[in-house]
Amino acid sequence: MSITLDQVTKRYAGAPVVNDVSLDIGDGEFFVLLGPSGSGKSTLLRAIAGLSGVDHGRIALHGRDVTHVAARKRGVGLVFQNYALFGHMTVAENIEFALRVRHMRAKARRQRRQELLRLVALEGLDQRLPAQLSGGQQQRVAVARALAHKPEVLLLDEPFGALDAKIREELRRTIRQVQRELGITTVLVTHDQEEAFAMADRIGIMNLGRLLELGAPHDLYSRPATRFVATFLGAANLILARRTPDGIQMGANTVAAAESSPGVHEHEVVAVVRPEEVEVAASRDGLSSGYFARGVVHEVVFTGALESLRVRLENGAQAPLLAQADGDASASLLVTRTQHEQRGFEVHPGQSVAIGVRRVHVLPTPLSSFTACAASAALADTLSRQPLLAELAVRMKTRIALRAEPQLGVAGAACAVDGPFVGTTVIASQAECAQRAEWLLRRGAKDLLLLPEHAAVPQRVLIHWMDEAARSATLAVSASVLRHLSAEAVYVGIFPEQSASAHPQHGMRELLDARSEAQLAHGLEMRTELRFGDVAQQLARRLAEAPAQMLIVGLTELSRFAQALRGLLDGGQWPVLIVYRGSP
Amino acid sequence: MSFRQPSVLPGFGLTFGFTTFFLSAIVLLPLAALVLAAASMHWSDFVHVVASPRALGSFRLSFGASFLAAAINLVFGFIIAWTLVRYEFPGRKLIDALIDMPFALPTAVSGIALTTVFAHNGWIGRYLEPWGVKVAYTWLGVTLALTLISMPFAVRAVQPALLEVQRDLEEAAETLGAHRLYVFRHIILPTVLPALLTGFTLAFARALGEYGSVIFIAGNLPMKTEITPLLIVIHLEEFDYQGAAALGVVMLVISFIVLLAINLLQAWGRRRHVRGAH
Repeated sequence: MSITLDQVTKRYAGAPVVNDVSLDIGDGEFFVLLGPSGSGKSTLLRAIAGLSGVDHGRIALHGRDVTHVAARKRGVGLVFQNYALFGHMTVAENIEFALRVRHMRAKARRQRRQELLRLVALEGLDQRLPAQLSGGQQQRVAVARALAHKPEVLLLDEPFGALDAKIREELRRTIRQVQRELGITTVLVTHDQEEAFAMADRIGIMNLGRLLELGAPHDLYSRPATRFVATFLGAANLILARRTPDGIQMGANTVAAAESSPGVHEHEVVAVVRPEEVEVAASRDGLSSGYFARGVVHEVVFTGALESLRVRLENGAQAPLLAQADGDASASLLVTRTQHEQRGFEVHPGQSVAIGVRRVHVLPTPLSSFTACAASAALADTLSRQPLLAELAVRMKTRIALRAEPQLGVAGAACAVDGPFVGTTVIASQAECAQRAEWLLRRGAKDLLLLPEHAAVPQRVLIHWMDEAARSATLAVSASVLRHLSAEAVYVGIFPEQSASAHPQHGMRELLDARSEAQLAHGLEMRTELRFGDVAQQLARRLAEAPAQMLIVGLTELSRFAQALRGLLDGGQWPVLIVYRGSP
Repeated sequence: MSFRQPSVLPGFGLTFGFTTFFLSAIVLLPLAALVLAAASMHWSDFVHVVASPRALGSFRLSFGASFLAAAINLVFGFIIAWTLVRYEFPGRKLIDALIDMPFALPTAVSGIALTTVFAHNGWIGRYLEPWGVKVAYTWLGVTLALTLISMPFAVRAVQPALLEVQRDLEEAAETLGAHRLYVFRHIILPTVLPALLTGFTLAFARALGEYGSVIFIAGNLPMKTEITPLLIVIHLEEFDYQGAAALGVVMLVISFIVLLAINLLQAWGRRRHVRGAH
């Protein structure tokens, strides 16, 4: 491996900017770190270059641990967005800088300089000053300068940010060509997905300091695992759907999914439909793909090669449309059509059309939507406005439904609302809410969030499961939640007091298993802590240690819930997400 | 550009008129009067005044101490500016404001304050005395006073230039394998050099003309600690206006030569950069 990052964490003023990033980049690979501004991608690049230290974790270049090695000894080449050329030096002097530092002889320097200038197609400009060059030329000089000392790794920090489209394209091609010719391992940081697609062998997508997903451009685009990636990489319609044994049911109609799913119990999922996978026709019979719903076109934008439509679903579609990539939460479906499709069927604003879906991708995330549940509709409405819940819903691009259960918590009473609990059920955390929680779990709620009135976005999420059977589900939910928070994840393993001497090894193995499963199956990096004693007591103590913490606790047996968690929940001080995977 | 050419901004005629008027009335006219007053002297009288051992001693002290003070401020002014620009620490704003104190203080106050501290029984002077170091009433005291009053010029000239040195440049140099010292020598220094020279020039010019603070701490022993401005005042007190003017003209000429030399040096440096040196 050329570059190995192991649980790299960097904090500013206590808040993690880069959060537990582990990554292997192979020899000669062109790797792109993609993310919105503030996602920590530049900080990570600077950490690799050695320009900023890390608070935790390890960085290795070609097997050499460089975590505590100064930038000048790391043997990397770095290219900045604003070129960072030495203005008082000529192009020749700029390029020869690294060689001069290394006391290379003048003749050898000149030879290397000629070589590099040829490589970036700038021959003959040796004696110019940077100010006399265009932006594109300056960046070429910067690339040549960064390569002069034959670094093992080339790092590019938004190198095209300050250039206009045409020059950008040209420079992109040059850099890719140079990279192939030299076979140098390269990491490029950008917020431009098109750029990432055009250049990368592999893309890593960062958000809120976390490396969310990793993969070849095509795989990431067609099979994203998270809604962030689905919407950040190109446009996407996110639709709340139901997975049934027959396929994916969106509203009233079952649309055949690309991935068949036999033998699963029915549950709510988030479906990703790319705008180019949507088909429109005058009537249902005119569709060549699975019918989804009818809608009214309310916007037609011609963008050259493609035409972009916004189609408002007609009432009765019953498939809640979640926010689209551009953050527009209006319930309209984004459709793009090729010239060929446009010629086949012309549409105008105001026209009613039948909508078909060619391909659906279902996100593997266990958290689909939220349902605020309270004794009355008014209380449920108030709950749905709780800041943490509202923030989570926005970040997860999902909706908050309301559900009134007048008999909530009354032993023996049945549900007032007919129908299963879908998604994550949310109740207000207050004194004696353990009983309500149990009431809901006994009536089919699977993921239950207990929310104190003033809970804010947590900085640390504690994870614990009460029985091993709940491990997988808890990890999956935790990973899903943590993708949308910049919090750090801590697994709290708790063993009974007497086991401290009896089975310490057994405990350690479980811990390591859990960590590797979290990492491999869910892409979740977490720290681990070991505690001994009573579960509820230890958790309460840990929660009280620092402000802004949240607990995710998994279990499969309700009997354990009552005896162990009642005390903890009845306090009602912390946000707690219960992941229950037993029978009601 | 000719004078008739219309400018984008109106009012060129008026502002140019004011500029020439003020420069003439405040700068050129008095200087011309000075030269005229000296010119009315006989050449041998002029040489007699200007080349007298007392006058030569005062020139040596005035220019020597001013040069030394400006040089000291070149180094320490840079360090102060560096500290203020590069680091974030409690009380930074306060220190930043403190830099300007010598501007605001009447120079006589500075002189008295320095004398109090550095006299043989002063706060610091009393500890220097046993070592045989005398500050007050020696050339050392003169230099100290000049350093104090010219310090803000050096700091304020360098500060904005340092602010403009991009961290990126230093980081780029670092990733290319350069040591801190190498980065300082080859990246930071060339960038701030013009500002440093400007700071030096300003500090030197300010120190040369200083009178108020120096006379308190200098002791004013002829030949030893008597600065030229003081000698001029002494001539004036004896109603020897021509002698005073003669000394003034010499100072004027030497100052002009020094400032011109520094400016030429700067221009040469700029040209060298543009052409690209090897």
